Amino acid sequence: MSDNALVGKFKQGYESLFEQNWPLWVGAVLIAFLAVLAAAVGRPWGVVGGIRVWGDWIWYAVGLAPRPVNHLFLSDGAILTWGLLAGAFGSALLSRQLAWTMAPAWELGKGLVGGILLGIGSGMAGGCNVGGFYTALAAGSVSGFAMLIGLIAGAVVGLKYLLWEIEHVTIKSPAPKEKSGGADWTKSQPWLGALFFAGLIVAAYALSLNAYTTTGLLLVIAAGIGLVIQRCRFCFVRAFRDPFMTGESVATKAVALSTLLCLLGIMILKWTGALPEQSYVYHHWIGGLVGGAIFGFGMLLTGGCGSGSVWRAGEGQVKLIIAVLAFALSNSLFRAHVWTPTVAKAWGDPFFLPQLGGYFWALIITGVVLIAWWALTAWNEETDKLTMY
Amino acid sequence: MAEYKADEILDARGLSCPMPILKTKKLMKDMKSGQILEIQGTDPGTKNDLPAYASRTGDEYLGMEQRDGYISFFIKKK
Repeated sequence: MSDNALVGKFKQGYESLFEQNWPLWVGAVLIAFLAVLAAAVGRPWGVVGGIRVWGDWIWYAVGLAPRPVNHLFLSDGAILTWGLLAGAFGSALLSRQLAWTMAPAWELGKGLVGGILLGIGSGMAGGCNVGGFYTALAAGSVSGFAMLIGLIAGAVVGLKYLLWEIEHVTIKSPAPKEKSGGADWTKSQPWLGALFFAGLIVAAYALSLNAYTTTGLLLVIAAGIGLVIQRCRFCFVRAFRDPFMTGESVATKAVALSTLLCLLGIMILKWTGALPEQSYVYHHWIGGLVGGAIFGFGMLLTGGCGSGSVWRAGEGQVKLIIAVLAFALSNSLFRAHVWTPTVAKAWGDPFFLPQLGGYFWALIITGVVLIAWWALTAWNEETDKLTMY
Repeated sequence: MAEYKADEILDARGLSCPMPILKTKKLMKDMKSGQILEIQGTDPGTKNDLPAYASRTGDEYLGMEQRDGYISFFIKKK
């Protein structure tokens, strides 16, 4: 093969990986795989833990909170969310999609209010739709089921609001900016992206040399999730919203499939004793239900959930950057002063589903719920019975 | 410059998911069969969302054009 042909092949391969988006089901499988890896390393996948650490440190920096217990970079929760942000940022570079996207003032306001609600909702539910639903359900926590119901309810109300808004509020678009830097910057993005990922791997290696091997592994896994999520535009919000909005079920199917796979992985880890049974079974269901509803409404306003806001912020979308900051600050405050561990505990103890009748029935029950959710949206795709307008 | 002659233009620049699709759906309702809607947008997600949306409603997704700082998408009502 001549050199040119080789270069051509490489280019073709690169373009199919980084020009086109990957199918959602590919993302579903890969995210489940990486989430189970994270659990095997010892820290199941979550997003809000890290977002809260950011909030704690910002409040501390302006002198309004005591010095946070968790390290800004090296605590397990923080490194997972830094990794997600970094992976999405690098992936946006590789795909030439990094762009500073400004939004109208009204939208920025929605990012702010939505972000505050995301912080409150996830504070009550013990996580966003990753930590409170996806991982919690996979870990056998009953609050994961409650959050599923809450999220759907919140998404329906949020969608109703958006429908009202497009009838009654006129939003002026900002004048389109000329492309700063021109074509050259877009062209060099893939090289910068490759360099960025190489840097991440070096950083993980450096961490392992300094007795932070787990942290390094979590950084690589989370960056992998960020890359996959950005390439698939894997959006948890769509899973809850689309059946009511356009009637599409593809995102719901992807999330249900991914949760099912992650469930199998984490249950095996727990059953074999590789992961403590109580891991990610932290919350009473009432927080999941109420928090899920607040979170569901908030994510319709921002257009991103926990992971979704972070990866879109990594692409340079100003509205989502504001949402993540508001999310961090409100979650930090809410957990420190309102929904403290004591208050959360007052509702009752968390419940680990296998306590009911063993692992077998826990798997069956969770599987049936996920498949029912999948089937309901597939049926709706044919009939449009749930579609709101 | 335009490949397609649009009957209606939706300015969704600066809006992020799901607003461009919601507004598209609303505008398409009032359009007549055969008419073309141009959607101007800046959200990277719209590249996937609009073709998927059109294939579901049965409208025809005609294509997109890169403009200065935004992308125009064209959909023809069935």
